[in-house]
Amino acid sequence: MVSRWMYTSLVILYCFLLGPFVIIFMASFGANATMAFPPQGFTLDWFANVFETSQFIDSFWISLQLALLSTIVSLIMGMPVAYALVRFQFTGSGLVETVFSAPILVPGLVIGFAMLNFFVLLGDMQVMTGLFIGHTAILFPYSVRVISASLRNLDPYVEDAAVSLGARRLRGFLLVVLPNMQAGIAAAFVLGFITSFNNVPVSLFLSGPGVTTLPVSMLSYLEYYFDPTIAALSTLLVAFTVVLVQSAERLLGLSQFV
Amino acid sequence: MPHLEIRNLTVSYEKNRPTLEQFSLGVEQGELVSLLGPSGCGKTTTLRSVAGFIQPDAGQILINGRDYTQLPPNRRDIGLVFQSYALFPHLTVFNNVAFGLRMRRIPKGEISERVTTALKMVGLEAFANRRPAQLSGGQQQRVALARATVIEPQVLLLDEPLSNLDARLRVDMRQEIRRLQQQLGITTLYVTHDQVEAMSISDRVVVMNQGEIEQIGAPERIFAAPETAFVADFMGFDNRFKAAVVSARTDKLQLHWGGDAIELRWRSRSGSPQPGARAEIFFRADNASLAAGPDALGLAGQVILHTFHGNELRYLVETEVGEFSILQDSAGQRFEPGAAVKVQPQPQKWIAIFEETGQ
Repeated sequence: MVSRWMYTSLVILYCFLLGPFVIIFMASFGANATMAFPPQGFTLDWFANVFETSQFIDSFWISLQLALLSTIVSLIMGMPVAYALVRFQFTGSGLVETVFSAPILVPGLVIGFAMLNFFVLLGDMQVMTGLFIGHTAILFPYSVRVISASLRNLDPYVEDAAVSLGARRLRGFLLVVLPNMQAGIAAAFVLGFITSFNNVPVSLFLSGPGVTTLPVSMLSYLEYYFDPTIAALSTLLVAFTVVLVQSAERLLGLSQFV
Repeated sequence: MPHLEIRNLTVSYEKNRPTLEQFSLGVEQGELVSLLGPSGCGKTTTLRSVAGFIQPDAGQILINGRDYTQLPPNRRDIGLVFQSYALFPHLTVFNNVAFGLRMRRIPKGEISERVTTALKMVGLEAFANRRPAQLSGGQQQRVALARATVIEPQVLLLDEPLSNLDARLRVDMRQEIRRLQQQLGITTLYVTHDQVEAMSISDRVVVMNQGEIEQIGAPERIFAAPETAFVADFMGFDNRFKAAVVSARTDKLQLHWGGDAIELRWRSRSGSPQPGARAEIFFRADNASLAAGPDALGLAGQVILHTFHGNELRYLVETEVGEFSILQDSAGQRFEPGAAVKVQPQPQKWIAIFEETGQ
C-alpha cells in the first residue's frame, strides 16, 4: 500500500525537480523584456532571437562537433581499457580503475584550471584542440565505466566457447563479444555526448576568442542581458536532450547500464 | 592405445607451486572418465590444458596418438561444456548450435540438417528460434551440450556442467548426459566435485588431491575400497580411528575391538603392515550397529545424542577410541542419550589404511 505520506513526498520531489523547468518554459513565451514570472502576454520573438544571435549559432556548432568528436574518441580509447579491466586481473588493476575514475571525482573547475595551465605550458595550441583534449579526458572515465558495466553482464567464457568451437581469438571477440557490447557502447555514446554538450567548468577555462561552446556563450550572454532569449534557448536545449535520451532509451534500453 | 592420453602434465601458475605435477591419464575410445576432487585439486586445470587454454610447463596431450600439446585451442576439435554454459546471448538456439559448423565452413544445407538433428537429440527442436535468456537452466544446459557435440569432436570435455542446476534437475541431466555420451560413443572427460555425480555417470573415476591422483578406478571399487585416507574421507566414510595391528597377512589384518579380535582388509601405498604398527580404520555410519544388554558383544560406548533422518536415526556414540556416527533403523530399538551401548562392527565393509606420513 502506498501511503499518503509517500505521495506527498513524491509530489514535493517532482516540484523541486521539474518546477524550475516549468518556470523557464513559461518565461520563454512571455512578452516582457526581462525575465518574469508569471509571464505577461505571449510571443515567439525570443525563439526567433535565439536563431538570429550568431554567437549562439556558432557556439552550437562548436559544441556539437566537440561533443561528437570527443565522445567517439573517448569510446575508441575506453573500449580496450574496459575490456582489460573486466577480463584480466593484473597487479594494479584496482589502481588503474581509480585513476580512470579521477575526472569524475575531481571538481570540473579544478580539471579545467589544471588543463589551462598545462596547455599554456605546452605552448601554442589551438583553442579547439585544447577543448577537444579536455572533453575527451572528462568523457573517458564515463566510457570505461559504462562499457565495463555492459561487459560484466556477459559471461567471460563465451569467448573460450567460441574459440573451442573453432574461431580464432580475434574472430571470437568480433562474433560473440562485440555484438553484446553494442548496447553498452550506445549508452556510453549518449551519456558522453550529453556530458560534453552540457559541460561548463572545463569549457569555461579552455574556450578562447571566437571559439566558445554553447553553455559558455549562454553564461556570458547572461552577464549582459537578462531577457527571455536564454529561457527560449534553454527550452530548446531541454527538448533536444529529452528527444535524444528518449530515442536512445526506446532503441536500446540504456537505463540498465547507467 | 588410449584415445585421449595425458602424459606427465605439469602446470604451475606460480613459480615452485605446481597446480599439477606429473599428471598422467589415458581415456579409452568412448569412455567417460570423471576427474573428482575438491576445488583447487587441479581438475579444471587438467581440463583446460586438454582444451588448449592452458599451456603446460611440461608434458604432452595426445589424441589418437597425435601430439596436440602445441595446437591452438581453436584447432583441437574438442567439444567443451562450461559450468556457466557460456551460450552466446545475442544468438538464437539454432545459431548457437550452428556456430561451430559455420567456423568449419560446412555447407548451409548440411548445417541446418545437423543442427536440427542435434537439437532433436536433446529434445529442443521446438526452441530453435528462442534466445538463451528465454530458456530454463536445464534447457540452456542442453543447448550447450548440443553445441559442443554437433561438431562431432574427438573428445568431449564437461566442466562441472550440473552445478548451476537444482538438485532434482541435476539427477535428470546426469542421466541425459550419460545417454547422449553413450549414444554418440564419444570419449569424455568430466570434471566434478560431487562424488555422487561422479559415481553415477562414469566408467572410471579419478580422485584428485592437490594436483596428484589419489586413486583411479571403477565407481564401485572407489566407493567400496578407497586406497588412501583422502579418498575414504571424500567417499563418505564417516568414521575414522587409529588402532594397533595385532597380526597381518597378505590381504587381511587383525586388531582388537572391545574384547574381540576383528579382521579387516587393508590398503597401503607403501609396504605391508607389521604387528604393532598403527593403522587408520575407516567405516561408514551404516556399517556398524548398536546393541545393549549384558550379553551384547562389541566395543562399549555411550550415546551422546541422536538425530532423526526419516527411515534412520543417526547416533553419536562416544567410545574409548573416539566418537562414532552410526545409522540405525528408526523402527528398531531406540537408545536415549546417556545409554550404555555396544558398537558392533561389520568388518568386511571396514578398511584399514597405512600411509607413510602421520603414523
